[in-house]
Amino acid sequence: MLRKLALGGIRSRFRDYAVLFSGLVIASAVFYMFMALATNDAFLKSNSPVSMTSFIFGFGEVLLVIITMVYIVYANTFLMSMRQRDYAMFMMLGAKGRKIAQLIFIETVSVGLLAAVVGVVIGMGLTGLAGNLLISMLHAPATHFSVFWAPALLWTFGFFLAMFVLAAIVNAIRLLKTPMLDLLHAATTPNRIQQKKTVLFIQAVLAVILLAIGYWAMTQLAKLQMMAIGVALVTIVLGTYFLFNSLLVWLIGLLKRNQRFAARGLHTFTLSQLSFRIRDYTKILSVVAMLFALALGALTVGLGFQREIPEMARHQNAYDVVTIAASAKTQKAAKQLTGVTAKTAYTQKVTAKAVYFDADQLKAQPLQFELFDQGKWQHVTVTAKNFARYAEDGDSQLLQFRIPADNARRLQVVSHAAFIAASGQTRQVMTYQVRNFAANYDTIETMVTQQNRQFGVKSSDQSGQKFTVYALINSLYSGLAFMGFFLGIAFLAMLASTLMFKILSGASFDASRYTMLQKIGVRPSLLRRSVRQEIGALFLFPGVLGITHVLFGLNMFKGLLQQPYGNLLLPFGIFIVLYAVYYALTVWLYESIVIKRDRHE
Amino acid sequence: MQTQPVVAVNGVTKTYGKPNEKQFQALKGVTFSVQPGEFVGIMGASGSGKTTLLNILSTLDRPTAGTVVINGQDVTALKGDRLSDFRAKQVGFIFQDFNLLENLTARENIALPLALQNVSHAKQTQAVEKIAATLGIEAVLDHYPTELSGGQKQRVAAARALVQEPAILFGDEPTGALDSQSAKELLNTMASLNQEQDVSILLVTHDPFSASYAQRILFIKDGQIGQELVHGDKSQSAFYQEILDTLGTFQQ
Ligand SMILES: Nc1ncnc2c1ncn2[C@@H]1O[C@H](COP(=O)(O)OP(=O)(O)OP(=O)(O)O)[C@@H](O)[C@H]1O
Ligand SMILES: [Mg+2]
Repeated sequence: MLRKLALGGIRSRFRDYAVLFSGLVIASAVFYMFMALATNDAFLKSNSPVSMTSFIFGFGEVLLVIITMVYIVYANTFLMSMRQRDYAMFMMLGAKGRKIAQLIFIETVSVGLLAAVVGVVIGMGLTGLAGNLLISMLHAPATHFSVFWAPALLWTFGFFLAMFVLAAIVNAIRLLKTPMLDLLHAATTPNRIQQKKTVLFIQAVLAVILLAIGYWAMTQLAKLQMMAIGVALVTIVLGTYFLFNSLLVWLIGLLKRNQRFAARGLHTFTLSQLSFRIRDYTKILSVVAMLFALALGALTVGLGFQREIPEMARHQNAYDVVTIAASAKTQKAAKQLTGVTAKTAYTQKVTAKAVYFDADQLKAQPLQFELFDQGKWQHVTVTAKNFARYAEDGDSQLLQFRIPADNARRLQVVSHAAFIAASGQTRQVMTYQVRNFAANYDTIETMVTQQNRQFGVKSSDQSGQKFTVYALINSLYSGLAFMGFFLGIAFLAMLASTLMFKILSGASFDASRYTMLQKIGVRPSLLRRSVRQEIGALFLFPGVLGITHVLFGLNMFKGLLQQPYGNLLLPFGIFIVLYAVYYALTVWLYESIVIKRDRHE
Repeated sequence: MQTQPVVAVNGVTKTYGKPNEKQFQALKGVTFSVQPGEFVGIMGASGSGKTTLLNILSTLDRPTAGTVVINGQDVTALKGDRLSDFRAKQVGFIFQDFNLLENLTARENIALPLALQNVSHAKQTQAVEKIAATLGIEAVLDHYPTELSGGQKQRVAAARALVQEPAILFGDEPTGALDSQSAKELLNTMASLNQEQDVSILLVTHDPFSASYAQRILFIKDGQIGQELVHGDKSQSAFYQEILDTLGTFQQ
């Protein structure tokens, strides 16, 4: 009988359960995704040149556990708000407290467990999809990366089970303690904002101090080491919460008291909508701000590492690929290069003792060397005049103009007349520079492999090609970029589901309010604007704070990235566009639920 | 020359259900009118079509056939913003179930229609306080709906309906959820609004006592108007008795 009642409850509010359930599924999927990296020590060690990575992931775990916990607690409050009227009804009809507690337990735990099972399956799917996509995109080896990872599985199930058993107990105790009347009228009781001014003020001050400490700690990573991350984690999470708590309450109060503003149109209604559930808003908004910062931060750092690869490779070699006496196959591959910015042909003459360049040719088109000189990278153009001077330092640069068979021959520049006069074989050398090395990665790989086969290049120190260096740097950095992107995607998914959940879980309560407004003559366009503003506030505040967190947080990567603050426009731009699209989607979904078609039309 | 009626209903029918589904005709050709300043009651048994009729009159629903003209405007043709504005300015209604926004205080609820027209804050306050005084709810203006009694809620709803000074006030069993004392107070208020401020009122009820406040009562049965009673010079108790008698015969 009880089971029938429990299932009946689910059927009658299918949409709300769907929102709740999909939210929890995403939460557990992301939890699994993160754990699949975080608990895989072999993966972390082999893909990151930084020994701290495992520790950083350890802190990440703590943060994710906090976030997921808030999420689950919130989801449970929502679950209870849907069910408490029914429970109260059962109790009025004579169901015993123990039976009700049992009912709550079955419902809560089965929802949690089911969400964890589905979530883990989806989490594996996402892990595989995102993982493989990134591996091929970044040409990252990502050794030891595993989609099915037993410790992550155990962690996810263990955590969700524990959380939901706990939640079930709390739910049951709370329900049985709450007076019947309150249960029957819950969810319509507004929260009066009756926080004392002094408390608000103390919270605001505390928020600023905590955030300042956190931001400062992140700049002191080199000195404080692990402490810095721990301190930043605690202070920023708390600071974010206090800031929202004080700021939002204060702001809403301020706007409501500003009568010229509040008295216009639906402003009072919109503000009341916000203040109505301010308490769970502040918690969820803090979570959203943290997730926003994590997702954006991970994406920015991932992009930073990815950008670092060609940047570092660029300093190693001016030419993206050089071919010597290219075979038909190599030439064919060379035609596939895209975005070629420069292509130069040189003629070499190979004699018994030397390989000659023609001085006239170099004068017309000087060689380009990348040299590390006097503590910095320098780009030099080399002609007959300074060839001798740079030939020594720039041996690594000249390597690509020779083949292993030339080992005993010296590279020399001779006058045009001497070049003509010299007896020996001539061969064609082509240098290529492209706009985007990564985009041409496969083509260049083919060309270099062809050349290596043609001339019997066995090891990387016989090849002066940029490709070799690039591959080396790539193997160091692409692992970090991979982690950045992977976590960026995971946190973004969690962010999306949190916001969506928060907004849609209130929708069915709001629907009646909007219908009423329509009945008393509020223009649909005005209703839509109110919806846009309300949801806009929910998106804007955490967004702004999240961006601030990231801007300070990038300080932590000063030791790892040459320019952590370089080229922020791209990751921020991508992220803001995604966020805006997501905002539009949420508004559209919410409107389709709360703004019903007028029966008159 | 007769004055233009504030409500003119002509041959209104309403059929529920789509053509290919099971259909039910709730209204079968209703015709009547309400003159400015009139207080008209509509009575009928449960399921006779009262709410259906009122929803059509108050532009919440649309008739299957027939026309409804309010204050010279054919409301069946209204759409979009003009429909919203018409609701906001021309008609006020008090619902069977209060329909207050529970996240707004009584004051904010009442002021909402004015805020929608961007009336200045000072004027809003003035209007809200005036109507609150008329209805005797000054003391509870800053309460939330959950902090009000049923009677107070209904009066707040009435205040919200009246604050715009609409051409006509519709009430669907506004006293249905009230105890007799609160019901009496609300009805007295409505009657004095009608007499002193010439507000036209159309009140749907199946309570004979509420109906006895009206100047004219239309009886509706199975979706049609069957009979009409006029208050005239009779005392309220005599009229009340007449209503009871009519109901007795009418319902059979
Ligand atoms: N949306 C609807 N779809 C189908 N039938 C409906 C709908 N609304 C009302 N009806 C039917 O129309 C008839 C008239 O309903 P209405 O609500 O107008 O009655 P009423 O006179 O207001 O009754 P009461 O005094 O109980 O409120 C009833 O038989 C009802 O079942
Ligand atoms: Mg009715």
